[in-house]
Amino acid sequence: MAGGRGIVFEEISKQFLVRGSPLAVLDKVSLDCPPGSFTALIGPSGCGKSTLLKIALGLETVDAGSVRIGGEPPDAVRQRGEIGIAFQDPALLPWRSVSANVALPLDVLGGSRPEQRARIPHLVSLVGLSGFETALPGELSGGMRQRVAIARSLVTAPDVLLMDEPFGALDLILRRQMNVELQRIWMEQSPTTILVTHGIDEAVYLADRVVVLGGRPGVVKGIVDIPFDRPRPTTIFRDPAFHRLTDEVGALLGGDEG
Amino acid sequence: MTRLRRLLDRHATALTLAVIVILWEIAGRFQLVASGALPAPSDVLIRMWEDQADYWPHVAATVRTAFLGFVGGNVIAILAAILFVRWPLTERLSRGVNIAIFALPPIAIVPVLVLALPGEWPRLTLAAIAVYFPTMTAMVVGLTEVDPRSVELMRAYGGGEGAVMRWVRLRASLPALLGGLRVAAPNAVLGAILAEFGSGSRWGLGTYLLGSLGRADPARLWGIGLAATAIAGLAYALAALAASRVTDASRAVTIAAGATPASEPIGRSGGHRVAIAVVALVLPFAIWWGLLALSGLSPIIAKTPLGVFDYLFLPPTAANAQARLLSALAETLPIMVVGMAAGLGFAFLLAVAGAVRPGIVRALMPIALVTQTMPLVALTPLLVLIFGRGVAVTVAITVSVTFFPAYVTLAQGLSMVPKAAFDLVRAYGASGWRALRMVALPASLPWLFAAARLAVPRALLGVMIAEWLATGRGLGNLLNQSRGYLDYGMIWTVALVSVLVSVILYQLAVGLERLATARR
Repeated sequence: MAGGRGIVFEEISKQFLVRGSPLAVLDKVSLDCPPGSFTALIGPSGCGKSTLLKIALGLETVDAGSVRIGGEPPDAVRQRGEIGIAFQDPALLPWRSVSANVALPLDVLGGSRPEQRARIPHLVSLVGLSGFETALPGELSGGMRQRVAIARSLVTAPDVLLMDEPFGALDLILRRQMNVELQRIWMEQSPTTILVTHGIDEAVYLADRVVVLGGRPGVVKGIVDIPFDRPRPTTIFRDPAFHRLTDEVGALLGGDEG
Repeated sequence: MTRLRRLLDRHATALTLAVIVILWEIAGRFQLVASGALPAPSDVLIRMWEDQADYWPHVAATVRTAFLGFVGGNVIAILAAILFVRWPLTERLSRGVNIAIFALPPIAIVPVLVLALPGEWPRLTLAAIAVYFPTMTAMVVGLTEVDPRSVELMRAYGGGEGAVMRWVRLRASLPALLGGLRVAAPNAVLGAILAEFGSGSRWGLGTYLLGSLGRADPARLWGIGLAATAIAGLAYALAALAASRVTDASRAVTIAAGATPASEPIGRSGGHRVAIAVVALVLPFAIWWGLLALSGLSPIIAKTPLGVFDYLFLPPTAANAQARLLSALAETLPIMVVGMAAGLGFAFLLAVAGAVRPGIVRALMPIALVTQTMPLVALTPLLVLIFGRGVAVTVAITVSVTFFPAYVTLAQGLSMVPKAAFDLVRAYGASGWRALRMVALPASLPWLFAAARLAVPRALLGVMIAEWLATGRGLGNLLNQSRGYLDYGMIWTVALVSVLVSVILYQLAVGLERLATARR
């Protein structure tokens, strides 16, 4: 199923009303995410990266421009369950077991979806939670809950995966561990992915290319292609080539102040 | 020494209760209060034992009414809450009905229910009405206050409001619902007793109380009061037990103060908003009218809103009716306001003092809880025994019914002030009382208004019960008299006027509360 659909943003502009006066958050942002690609969106707080992600989800309207997923408006794709979503907060329902939380999108979408349900044990083991199928979220650690959320985002076998700082609340060690696991999991399905993040290391390690947003209203400051082959070993974090790329992203981010 | 201290601390509540019982026993034994109006607890228990053959049928009737009313009222409350949250417009349209149900003094509508409904329905209806509001508000809060991330997740997977309700809200509301049921359970008992007492039914503790009122038998009245309190307390305990089985975190006993009612509804336009407000205002009257039309009762007995207007303004007797109503209001309202102000004032002082010296809170909470559980009707005859049948008893009842709930609300509000805020002003050298003035007083102000909002209906109910039972003045007495004279027009009029008075004072308190919270 290797990523049947790309995501195309065309000249997206968006304003919010703040106390009655308009505040522009995005100004003519264009971005093309080819099918099966992994894009990291990075930028300072308030540059509109989360807004862009919500626009891709169809949960936020645009003032100008358009977004298409495989040529369709995102609402239609989302309502068929073909977009997987993970937030910074795992947002698990505390009364549902691990398996039931993973199955939640299927319940909401309706229909029996037997072959997708049959994949749940595999997904749970994919995120390293075998044996915890019947545990409740309250019995899990923070990192384990986030793994449940990742498994849940993949349960519909989506063509498109949107993640908003999924590891933002984890400590650095756990975060790096989750990055390694996410790459492994991602390679199995390779959905077209957009990852919103604050972490330069995380972005460079995971993505095919890093898009730096900045300014207010937000514009694309620059795009850094990441040429490493997959799977990327953890030793890559010590590679000089890796550091050249993180420096490049950092320079684009730092130029934001001026 | 420290071990003794620890022991005392751990059993502070039990000790307070023990001291109270001992003092009570001494006071009763030696007839220290109002020459025997306060019998010793041992005498009360002996009397209950002697009367036990009388108790069982009365207790059974009250428990039956309370239970059926509890079930019926809660089913309606839960369905209404789901409706209100699923389609918020319905909540705004029903606001008038909801406030009226919250604010109505139950005693005022008992005679009306007796006129309009057959058999045991008036009693069941009153018990159900007593249950509706606490359950409905708790359920609405539970359904509304869900994790916004979960809601966003539902949306992301194409789920609409229906899916959010089904997968998230219903299950998430369970702890709040159970909290509401705990408040509702003793309310059902109070509603049942009030209805028995005002409806002339044959069995029930309310009936027993009324029958025993004329005899100079304080021990029996106290026994009935104790039995009623025990049933209400048991109902609370059962609901609390059920709650703790579902949610392991058991919460403190609270009065559902709730949030300040939303100040402005989100309307599409001014005209739209006005239209909703008008419907909300008219709906209670429309329901009243519609139910009577459906019941097919004679317009002589069952007055529609128009019938009440007719009675009060059109016929030659109208002037007389108006005069009686106004003089009753002139007797009831000042006492109610004075009693409420005194009750709130005491509660305010004590709560603020308790914020500085927490020991006071620990000593008083048990008494507050017992009096809250004690059904008001059962309390009234006891206060009559002590204070006689004059104005003093009305004030005493009003103070006692407003004081404790207000105190609990205020003490809870003050306990939410972060301790760091006190420490901060102390760190800059402020004394205890100065910290009080700078932190505790401003912090407690909104809670004072919240307490007033909750106290209004209770105060009016207390005054009317006292007037009906004891003093022979005011609205309560007018209602009781009109029952005797079969003055149907006046029965409906008093019911309507007392609900209106309660709603208006309630809205006043809401307005003040908004002013107090708007500035922060």
